[in-house]
Formats: sequence, C-alpha cells, structure tokens
Amino acid sequence: MSYRAKRPNRLFRNLSAKIAALPMIVTALCVFIGCTVWTVLYSFTKSRMLPKADFVGLLQYERLWDTRRWILSVENLAIFGGCMMVLSLVIGFSLAALLDQKIRFENAIRTIILYPFALGFVVTGLVWQWILNPDFGLQSVVRGFGWAGFEFDPLFDVDIVIYGVLIAAVWQGSGFIMIVMLAGLRGIDQEIWKAAHIDGIPAWKTYVVVIIPMMRPVFVTALVLIASGIIKVYDLVKAQTNGGPGIASEVPAKYVIDMMFNNLNLGQGFAASNMMLLSVLVILIPWAYLEFGGKKHA
Amino acid sequence: MARAVSQQRKIINTVLAWAVGLLIFFPILWTILTSFKTEATAIADPPVFLFFDWTLENYTVVQERSDYMRFLWNSVIIAGGSTLLGIVIAVPAAWSMAFVPSKRTKDILLWMLSTKMLPAVGVLYPIYLIFIQMGLLDTRIGLTVVLMLINLPIIVWMLYTYFKEIPGEILEAARMDGAGLREEILYVLTPMAIPGIASTVLLNIILAWNEAFWTLNLTAAKAAPLTAFIASYSSPEGLFYAKLSAASTMAIAPILILGWFSQKQLVRGLTFGAVK
Repeated sequence: MSYRAKRPNRLFRNLSAKIAALPMIVTALCVFIGCTVWTVLYSFTKSRMLPKADFVGLLQYERLWDTRRWILSVENLAIFGGCMMVLSLVIGFSLAALLDQKIRFENAIRTIILYPFALGFVVTGLVWQWILNPDFGLQSVVRGFGWAGFEFDPLFDVDIVIYGVLIAAVWQGSGFIMIVMLAGLRGIDQEIWKAAHIDGIPAWKTYVVVIIPMMRPVFVTALVLIASGIIKVYDLVKAQTNGGPGIASEVPAKYVIDMMFNNLNLGQGFAASNMMLLSVLVILIPWAYLEFGGKKHA
Repeated sequence: MARAVSQQRKIINTVLAWAVGLLIFFPILWTILTSFKTEATAIADPPVFLFFDWTLENYTVVQERSDYMRFLWNSVIIAGGSTLLGIVIAVPAAWSMAFVPSKRTKDILLWMLSTKMLPAVGVLYPIYLIFIQMGLLDTRIGLTVVLMLINLPIIVWMLYTYFKEIPGEILEAARMDGAGLREEILYVLTPMAIPGIASTVLLNIILAWNEAFWTLNLTAAKAAPLTAFIASYSSPEGLFYAKLSAASTMAIAPILILGWFSQKQLVRGLTFGAVK
C-alpha cells in the first residue's frame, strides 16, 4: 500500500498544495494589484464625477501639490506619524517592562491595558472628543481641583489639534505595542539578568545597554505595525475632529475620500491616493530588502 | 524573569502597574458611567463621578431612535461571516505553506502581508465601482467579502505560524496509516490546530467588528454595522454626550466581554503565537 502510494502521492501533494494556496493568491492578486493599477491609471485622467479615460498627464498631481489642504494633510501626517512612532515605542516598552516585574494579576491588567486597542478608532475618537472638550472634560476637571489657569484645549486650537488626535491614537495603540514588546521581553534569556545582577549593573542600564539591543527584531516589527497604521489614519480623525477646526486636522486618507465622494473630483482623489501609495513603497521596499533580502544570501 | 524581586518591590510594582492600568481604563469607565447619566449631569461642571441619579433613559432613547438590534445583527453577521469565510480560504493556503513549502513560499507570505501596509484608499474606488455594478453596495454580503479580503493576509499568516509548530512527523504517521489529504487536514491537522485557529478567529472578529474605513464608505442604512451606528450619533456640537455614551457602550460591550473571557487567546493571536 505505502509503496504503491508513495510516488504519485508526492506529485499529487505538491499539486494540491498549489491548488490549496491558489484561492488566496488569486484574490489577493486580483483585488490588490488589479485595483491599484486601475487607480494609478485613472489618476492621469481628468475624471470628475465618473471615471473617464480622458488623459491629461500629470495635471492632477500638479494641482494636488498646489492645494493648501493637501499640503496641510501631509504636514499633519508627518507630525502625527513621527510622534506616534516615538511615543508608541517608548510607552509600549515602558508598559511591557513594568508588566514584566512579576506583578500580581498580570493577565487581568494586561487585558485592561489592551482594551483600548479592542475598541477601534470610532469609539476612541468619540471618547477623546469628549475628554478633551474644554467645557466638561479634562480641562474643567483640573480647574475644578483648584488650578483655575489650567489650559488644555487641543481640539479647538488650530495649531495643536493634531496633537489631540495623537493623544487618542497613542492611547488606542500603546496596549498592542506593549503586548508585542512583552513577547520580546519574555524571549530574553533569564541568565542575562542574573549575569547583570552579579556584575552589579543597575536594572535601567541593563535595559538600555543589553536588553533593548537584543530586542532589535521586536522593535522593527513594532515599528512596521505602527507605521502601517499611521498612513491609514482616517476613522479616528473622522470620528474625533472630522478634519476640523476648519481643515486644521485633515489627513491624506481623508483628503482622498472627500475628493472622491464629496467633491466629485475623482482624478484628484486618485492622484492623492497614489502619492500615499508611493510614500509607503519608498519606505517598504528598502525595509523589506534590508530585513529579508540580505539574509537569503547569508 | 528569574531576577530576585523583593516582596516590597513586588508590591510597589503591582500598585504602579494597576495605577497605570486604571488610568488607561478610565476613559472607557467614564463613557460607561456617562451612559447612565442624564444629559444635564453628563456635561455638569465640575463633572460628577459616581454620585448621580442613575438612569436607563439614554438606552431606551437610543433603542427607540435607531434600531440597535439591527446594527448589532449586521455587526455579528459581517464580523462572523468574514472571519469564517477567511478561515475556509486560509486553512488550505496555510497548510500548503507550512507543510509543502516551495522556494517561493516565504516571498508569497511577505508579499501578502505587505499588502496590509498599503493604503486602503488606493483600492477603495475600484471596489466601490465593482460594488455598484454587482449591486453589492450597502449589503451584508458585500461587506463580508471585503472585510474577509482585508483580513485574509493576517489570517493566513497567523495560521501559518501555528501550523509551523505542528511536527510534520504526525502527518507522516497519519499518511502511513492510509489517511488521504482530506482526512489529513480534517482529522489530524485541524484538531491539533484548534487553539491556533481559535486565536485567529477571535482576533479577526475583533478587527472586523471595529473596521470603520470600509463600513463607513460602503454602507448606508441597510447593512450598516455598529461602527456606523456610533458614528451617526456623533454630533459636532456635542450636545448628546449621554446618548452617545450609551450608544458607544452598547457597541463596545460585546467586545469588552468577549475580550475578557478570551484574553489568553487574544494575546497569543496579537503576538502571532510568541506569548503563550
């Protein structure tokens, strides 16, 4: 039986393996590649309400970079993204280090810290819209404690509104990064702690000099997770500020959607979405090459 | 970790960790508390924390004004359906990648995961057009398919990491005993992978439940899930915070409860199996 089945089975197995992976590859290919190519193609047209194959070259892109709102969106995203990466990593790692101290009820607290992540962006946006409301949120609470001059009103201040969104995003995302970091900390050999202890190296120094360098892959993973969330930021802004006050907290994804569905300016929307795509590719390709391309030959 | 931690340090750390945890949890707690206040109490200055007249009025108003059950049902169907559909497609794919890897397997996996990092707005309009032409706009089935596609890379990747942990010898043994491919997947692999599949399912239900980008843009009234429901209560003037809180509480309650009872699987899922 086994003798007879062996050889044809092998061929059949490889074949069926390919068939098994096929639905996934086909859907991914059609949807992601197909739709992306379509969008790229139509960004060179002057489509307005409906997509029309009326090519105008780079006109949409020229217009895009002449638009105040787009420039502002890009600036907002740069500020938001930079701060988000730093804060999420620092807070996420600090929380993980704290939870790694053999505390009691670790599982329960881990879940509580993870809760904001499980809420999603719409609820997060609404909750923080309210906490940051100057009349009955954080500001009024602190004033109620007796600090009458306390001022913290980011959502209605054009200059700092993006930081109001940032606070909500950090609150939402830190738990997830903590979980990833905690997984990294648990993967560290316990002998290292013993050795550091014997050598009399203080704990904070052990973290900075030994543990964090050892956790480089975890940091890279966390960074990729954060970065891929940043470029997509849309629902949070939509729920928290809806781009306001005025256009002060607009972000690129919201620009694209507003252009496509509200302003009936499809070509602009496509051009803007391609700029986003391009910026992701510029970051993604070198990273993937560095992380995975090098190892193949080693 | 194996460091000697003194009893005193341990208590300090525990207290500190709980303080941080409560601080992080506070906004959620406040939302839940506010949902039991009247509109006037909700925006009282200074805010009232616990001592107010508890009322269920907001919940009845929210239920009357918009049919909560319908949104809930849409959320359940869309989140559950997309996850189930994703699992059905992903199990064979993950199986083949884990047990019959080819030279390209790693590349395919990476390429697939990288699609998750691309901005979704790039494919929004083409999908919108397809939806219009196929009459899928504002239908549960359409949204189910889209959310499945969005989360498929994560599902495949997670299942792949779990399948990888299963020793290949067990499959060899089953094959020796004459198990065919179908039996092998159905009776040997799947039971062993149940914990992994459970984590994957759970994480994806939560991701799909919270998905707002696609649900806000591809639904209107009929197929709108809870995310659209809460968004519809958000008013720029911020006049109805108690009702908004009630709506939010109703939307997040299922997730909070589900999350609490399945915390281990959830953490495992989020770390792709790195924490057990």
